[in-house]
Amino acid sequence: MNREVILKELEKIVGKEYATNRSEDLYIYSQDPGASLPRSVDFVVMPNTTEEVQAIVKLANQEKISIVPMGGGLTLSGLIIPVKGGIVLDMKRMNQILEINQFSRYALIEAGVTTGQIISHLNENFQDLQPPIPDAPPSATVAGNMLIHGSGYLSQKYGGHGAMINGLEVVLPNGEICKLGSCAVSDYWFDRGPIPDFIGLFISAFGTMGIITKLSIQLFPKPKMRDIVFGLMNSPKDIPNVLLKITATGYAEDILLGMQDKPEWMKGYIFIMTYITGDSEEDLDRQRKTLKRIYRKTNARFMKPSEKMKNLYLEKPIFAAGAADFRKGGGFEYVGAFMPLEKIPEAYEKGADLARKYGILPTLGSRLIGGVHTVVMFFSYSFNRADPKDMENAREALHETNKLALDLGGIPWKSELDGQKLILERIDPSYKKLMKTFQNALDPNKIMNSGNWEVN
Amino acid sequence: MELNLEQDWKDIVHRCFRCGYCKFTYEFSDFNCPSYKKHRFETYSTGGRLWLIYGLISGEIPWSQGVANVLYACSTCGNCTENCRFDKFNDFLVDIIEAARAEAVINGFCPEKQKALIERIENSEMYNPYGEKNSDNEDLKKEYDLPDKAEWVYFIGCTSNYRQKNLRDATLRFLKKTNIDFTLIDEHCCCSPVMRTGQINSVKDFINYNIAQINNAGASKVITSCAGCYRTLKKDWLKFGADYDFQIYHTVELVKKLLDEGKLKFISEYNKTVTYHDPCHLGRHMDLYEIPREVYKHIPRIKFVEMKRNRENAWCCGAGGGVKIGYPEWSVEISKERLEEAKITGASVISSVCPFCKTNLSDANIKFNMNFEVIDLIEILDNIEFEISGN
Ligand SMILES: Cc1cc2nc3c(=O)[nH]c(=O)nc-3n(C[C@H](O)[C@H](O)[C@H](O)COP(=O)(O)OP(=O)(O)OC[C@H]3O[C@@H](n4cnc5c(N)ncnc54)[C@H](O)[C@@H]3O)c2cc1C
Ligand code: SF4
Ligand code: SF4
Repeated sequence: MNREVILKELEKIVGKEYATNRSEDLYIYSQDPGASLPRSVDFVVMPNTTEEVQAIVKLANQEKISIVPMGGGLTLSGLIIPVKGGIVLDMKRMNQILEINQFSRYALIEAGVTTGQIISHLNENFQDLQPPIPDAPPSATVAGNMLIHGSGYLSQKYGGHGAMINGLEVVLPNGEICKLGSCAVSDYWFDRGPIPDFIGLFISAFGTMGIITKLSIQLFPKPKMRDIVFGLMNSPKDIPNVLLKITATGYAEDILLGMQDKPEWMKGYIFIMTYITGDSEEDLDRQRKTLKRIYRKTNARFMKPSEKMKNLYLEKPIFAAGAADFRKGGGFEYVGAFMPLEKIPEAYEKGADLARKYGILPTLGSRLIGGVHTVVMFFSYSFNRADPKDMENAREALHETNKLALDLGGIPWKSELDGQKLILERIDPSYKKLMKTFQNALDPNKIMNSGNWEVN
Repeated sequence: MELNLEQDWKDIVHRCFRCGYCKFTYEFSDFNCPSYKKHRFETYSTGGRLWLIYGLISGEIPWSQGVANVLYACSTCGNCTENCRFDKFNDFLVDIIEAARAEAVINGFCPEKQKALIERIENSEMYNPYGEKNSDNEDLKKEYDLPDKAEWVYFIGCTSNYRQKNLRDATLRFLKKTNIDFTLIDEHCCCSPVMRTGQINSVKDFINYNIAQINNAGASKVITSCAGCYRTLKKDWLKFGADYDFQIYHTVELVKKLLDEGKLKFISEYNKTVTYHDPCHLGRHMDLYEIPREVYKHIPRIKFVEMKRNRENAWCCGAGGGVKIGYPEWSVEISKERLEEAKITGASVISSVCPFCKTNLSDANIKFNMNFEVIDLIEILDNIEFEISGN
């Protein structure tokens, strides 16, 4: 079929106003706010139901066109820009919050529900519950975040977001609709279920295994009070010891670390923010005292922040997009890397050197996931989108940072194409073989975000 | 801080990160950009528009009718300016969109329907966007026994003068009752509709003409009952280099002043449940939120209720930015959403302080059988008894 005929078919499925190949729309969907170069898009389609998604997948299979599912498009690493052209499937019209279960504490939502929407829905209607969401802007989708195994302010306490998925409804690459998790057996979407767990197949797959249309995510009780205990460390070397001691108390809801060369007074220090929660001032006070003692004993100085700074960080989610505006150039990307705790000091030292090498002000940070089991390390680069050389510089820095993370025993997270290649170069060959087996079995026509996780 | 219309905006537009805060109300409870809510493609979000504008400036994309259409499918409501979190950038989002529209005009891509605005305004029989024969307002001066020279000029505005005459007359009756020394001029369009749609070639001539008329009337104060005129006279005329000494008031400010001074007392009751629609041009564009509310609340026995999205978060009526003329169907759909929101409050009356909002809300009210009474605040005052003293 030629393009115009395909467009007509897509229009039949979703309605004329929600399928487009107008050049202005294709231009917008051919890029994201990160440092990736634009890549071409043939169609953008916004489905409203699982059946519409199914029909689109069947059409794409028939025509052998690639489909790229997209949520907020805020991953920054170009994951929603097609590698081989095709259809960008903007999922944000599928935005129903279908159920909030207060007993089993889960939310059953459609894949286009944004993080802004879920937080506002709970704030308005279920004040005692909070969702696991990232510090990303509110137009990021919950699904997009969970599916890249994101993390957020509840991750230190409750784990990574990919693990908080109870169940999925998926349109498989062959167009079949499949339910995964307890919902496959029961009316309740409360658990992954004591059945073979295939949900992991769809996490960090970047849409290569199927399109998620519904998901159930865990919700958590909201504490009455929250505070932050700030500290400063002179050297990254102290980080593991401090974190081991803090996490052993069981107090911390979230722990964030950061290092940046600006403002001047921060240069050379690692700052730490330990979030504590409680029911009363006494409760918080007891925790504050313990943490201050730990800081003292581990070479970290307790720091009293200004109210303004504290309130900025107490806002949930944190306004992290402020970091993206650092250079006022509209461009921002970071290598997030899952790292083992023992390598974090080196990651800070080498990460800062690497940023300086590229003439970029070092801005590094990290967040704990599930205690010290994983530390996500952020190596951030903001750039001027209007300056192609600056963007190229950022791309090179990002690439070298991916290598650094791997050399240190970490793994780049939500990685762009080049990063995926680096991971695949180092991955156990039998893992790669298994991936290929799954890909061939599920998606023989290679229509699902093809070009990502490409195993030859 | 003002944005230089020639260059500055081109230097900052790429700062948009396309993060999308601007799509939502402050607490993310709903979308707040009418354009994004309607079209849903990223292209129609504020960020999408800004990225298209950057694409045009950088030469990555050429001008086309499609791109122009996206730029014009925006009611310039300013919701994005409230919710974009990037300081010293957020204030300029609408200015940037309007500046890009001016480029669209220069490049020959102003949509046909919006062109009618400039054609009518520049027509020497009309000087208004409604295509009506220009009224020099001499008949009104006679009818209301107004002098040639006065301290105040009531700048009626085209919508009140040609479409919402009851609102105009209610204002005239109110001003008469207050005993202020006022008159009318042979006004030409304030130019709001052409400024909003980037058709700015002859704007300076219109401004100069109107200023000369006001000066000829010897006025030191100008009062208007239109939120659009208010913003244009007070803000845009200065942006276009106007030099004037008179002060600009909205009628609601005068009402509030008289109430504060104890010179105005409402006597009869207004036994209805009323909700207030913030006009974008008065609220977000001019930061005037509380004065109208305080006036409503002074009216005896009125039951005043707020819609969920109010003040900075108010949903637009959908008439502004050339949307009413360019996309008439969509424009009333936007108003319909406002009326649906008003229904939830239990109000039977939806009131505002702008003839353009009144027009669009009324059109939606009729089209969708919403059964509201749509009425301007000044018309409410016209319906109740009040006492004026000491003026
Ligand atoms: C300022 C800033 C701060 C951030 N902070 C955090 C943070 O604290 N924690 C964090 O985890 N992330 C963070 N991020 C990264 C990212 O924005 C978020 O993880 C975000 O939630 C991703 O969601 P999205 O909807 O934008 O996903 P998208 O970018 O749209 O999609 C992500 C991936 O999932 C796939 N996908 C999307 N929807 C579907 C679907 N329905 N079915 C199948 N595949 C699908 C896409 O193809 C893509 O490969 C941040 C980003 C920014 C810009
Ligand atoms: S206008 Fe502001 S809030 Fe909207 S996408 Fe751009 S930077 Fe983000
Ligand atoms: S002015 Fe209003 S319609 Fe236009 S982009 Fe901003 S929020 Fe959307």
